[in-house]
Amino acid sequence: MVRGTLRAAGWAVVFLAALLAPKALNTYWLHVTAIAWYYALMAASWALLAGYAGQFSFAHMAFAAIGGYTSGLLAVDLHLPPVLGMLCGVLAAAIVGGVIGWLCLRLRGPYLSLFTLAFAQILQLILIAEYQFTRGSLGLSVPPLFHGDSDLPYYYAGFALLLFSLGIMQLVLRSRVGIFLRATREDEDAAEASGIDTSLYKIAVFTLTSAMAGLAGGFYGHFVGILTPNIVTIPEMGLVVAMAVVGGVESLPGAVVGAVFIWVLSEVLRDYGQMRFVILGLVIMLTQRFAQNGLVLLATRLIAKRLQPQRVEESGAPAA
Amino acid sequence: MAEYVFLQAANGLVTGLIFALAAAGLTIIFSVLKIVNFGHGVLYMMGGYAGYYAIHLLGVPPMAAVLAAMAATFLLGVLFERLMLTPLYTNKVDRKDEYAIIVTFGLFMLLENLGIVVFGPFNKRPPSFVEGGLHVGLLTITYDRLVAAAFAALLLAALALFMQRSSLGQALDAVSQSRDAAAIIGINPHRMYAIAFGLGSALAGGAGALIAPIFSLSPTMGDLPSVQAFVIVVLGGMGSVPGSIVGGILLGVVEGLGVGLYPDPNRALAYSNAFGALLLILTLLIRPTGLFGRPHLRME
Amino acid sequence: MLIEVERLSKHFGGIRAVDDVSLAISPGELVGLIGPNGSGKTTLINLMSGALQPDEGEIRMGGTSMAKKAAHTFAHHGVGRTFQVPRLFRRMTVLENLMAPALTLKHSTSHAAQKRALDVLAFLRLRHLARGEARALSGGQQKLLELGRALMLEPRLLLLDEPFAGVHPRLLDELCEHVVALNREGYTIVVVDHNLDAVKGIVRRLVVMARGRGIADGPPDEVLRHAEVISAYTGA
Repeated sequence: MVRGTLRAAGWAVVFLAALLAPKALNTYWLHVTAIAWYYALMAASWALLAGYAGQFSFAHMAFAAIGGYTSGLLAVDLHLPPVLGMLCGVLAAAIVGGVIGWLCLRLRGPYLSLFTLAFAQILQLILIAEYQFTRGSLGLSVPPLFHGDSDLPYYYAGFALLLFSLGIMQLVLRSRVGIFLRATREDEDAAEASGIDTSLYKIAVFTLTSAMAGLAGGFYGHFVGILTPNIVTIPEMGLVVAMAVVGGVESLPGAVVGAVFIWVLSEVLRDYGQMRFVILGLVIMLTQRFAQNGLVLLATRLIAKRLQPQRVEESGAPAA
Repeated sequence: MAEYVFLQAANGLVTGLIFALAAAGLTIIFSVLKIVNFGHGVLYMMGGYAGYYAIHLLGVPPMAAVLAAMAATFLLGVLFERLMLTPLYTNKVDRKDEYAIIVTFGLFMLLENLGIVVFGPFNKRPPSFVEGGLHVGLLTITYDRLVAAAFAALLLAALALFMQRSSLGQALDAVSQSRDAAAIIGINPHRMYAIAFGLGSALAGGAGALIAPIFSLSPTMGDLPSVQAFVIVVLGGMGSVPGSIVGGILLGVVEGLGVGLYPDPNRALAYSNAFGALLLILTLLIRPTGLFGRPHLRME
Repeated sequence: MLIEVERLSKHFGGIRAVDDVSLAISPGELVGLIGPNGSGKTTLINLMSGALQPDEGEIRMGGTSMAKKAAHTFAHHGVGRTFQVPRLFRRMTVLENLMAPALTLKHSTSHAAQKRALDVLAFLRLRHLARGEARALSGGQQKLLELGRALMLEPRLLLLDEPFAGVHPRLLDELCEHVVALNREGYTIVVVDHNLDAVKGIVRRLVVMARGRGIADGPPDEVLRHAEVISAYTGA
């Protein structure tokens, strides 16, 4: 009981802080935080795909690119309003995601990672080579989602999109589908023997998380105003993996916290240039080595311990 | 035109042999430790730079520098294995595949960016093994390519001999077949894991040092070969060293011919790296066990 | 007939793991499927539960052809199974392990699934462990839980792959009791084992496999006198 209330109160504080934060942030940090929402959405949806469903895809950024470029190109070439374009982007990412999920049905573990890595690489090369359509490495200028100079609408729009997507994902995880996804992750054959249509749920989780990545990519493109093939690079994917790993790949809120933390940290360390990615690599390795459930869980445990020092251990509660 | 295609194919053969060397390293790591090393590309890159600095700082002759690079990457590999991979051998880690993917990916991030910081983002080119080139009609194949290919072939032959004839090679093989059975006959699997990872890293490093005079060095040079090495390994069947040699040559030739035959030369170049990735995807889809791998026993 | 297996074959590369096997099982039977290691027992079980697709042959359940169906379809047609080495959802709770199959039923509610899961846990005397993670269970408890998971969809046919292997002697009797009790309740059961002694005491019919083929089928004492069975076991 105490623990639940404490947790709810904690999230309420976080939520209020996020709502009020723009009052305290200057233009630069407002921009940074609005981009953090993009990464948070990427990290959380990847955590669902990789952490809950066990599909270690390296193609997540590719779906953000598909969402972003679809929306951007529709806006540039067909003058479609950004909101409609973003919807099309979500749809395109969902469809391609579903197809990739279907293609990957027989691939397990590292094989799936290899497949998705190769897919992402091909997509990146297409974005570079087909420059007549995509403007190649020069980048595609994408019209903004909101008029005016302020990033404030983007901040709240990004935050709303994040909450909306998290809500959907949490609903899925709380439903029976959540149990099926975890069972599939734990042991596919046993899940099948238990009557779970693992193919269906794997395709579904790819479709859903790709749609979310597509949404994030669309938002990112219309916010930043320019899309380049760099969005699909391995370091970008690495950033998202780092965020999810630090936050705990099996916790969506953890991934969000991890994303904001890492993104802000990498901004703070911006003067150190490439060195911050060295640190990120180190953080990924060390977190995985010593705190596999992520640093967020570790931190909340420590805080919880501080708050209730004399709490007697619940009998029979699982240790992990 | 025919000559151009031939040259591309010949160049492909050379890079194919070098990639096969890196891929053989990936294969050894996979077959002994049962993990895919996503950091293989950066070990290849580190090998390239190790060779470069051995030449420039220590005055080692270029060909000996390849061996120095292999020694350096061997140590790096063992260090990484001891520090990061030991939890895999205990029950501390429940999802071993995922753990390995993440930590080796972390290694990739760490070393690639460290490379940019330490070595600088600009290309470096170590001196040639042998200056000049072989003329074929109007076109030239540099001696560097020939030397590198011969060196790679030699190392691959030495590796095959080592795996088959030496007791250490056979111990590695035993662990790759069955860790428990190997332990029973007195082989310490933990030692074999460290050696396998070191050896795999050394082969990647050697490949990087061999390719350096041909394509020059950059910290991101490992991005593509890591994908290529995966292609080769998957093509050749995970865990088969001869398979990875054939796979490497096949990939090199396909890439070379792909670039040579693609109608629009600008795009052909842009897509040159996509051929490998496409090959990887197709192999995984059509024959996930590779061309030479055994049919996959799903449940036993 | 509950399940009919007709001329079933499965090859792995050059190896004929299951070679032209036919088998029919009636409701209520308790069948022992035995044979030396590598004789194709597990492959046959995998085929009969849809985990593997046969290269040739047909599997029918109540007249429906099942040969190309996915494993989860087999499960919903009434085939429940366990694995040689227990394959639980290790990082899910014991309760969740049992609820997962129950929730795949179209009209199940989470409440009903939980109630049934707790009933099964009570039957297996594991109820006190419901909230713990499955990976924390002992080997024998894991076998029991896996049996429970196979029971959740109320199977018409239970395929138990070496249920007695590696089980502590104290739990062995309990497990045997469970199998016999389940059969008495009306479950049709196939028990796979390479260990004759464990099986022959409880079954009324023995099917013997060797090198992928069915070589004998009948009451235990009759089958065990069969010359081919003796030679398969002595390796002659």
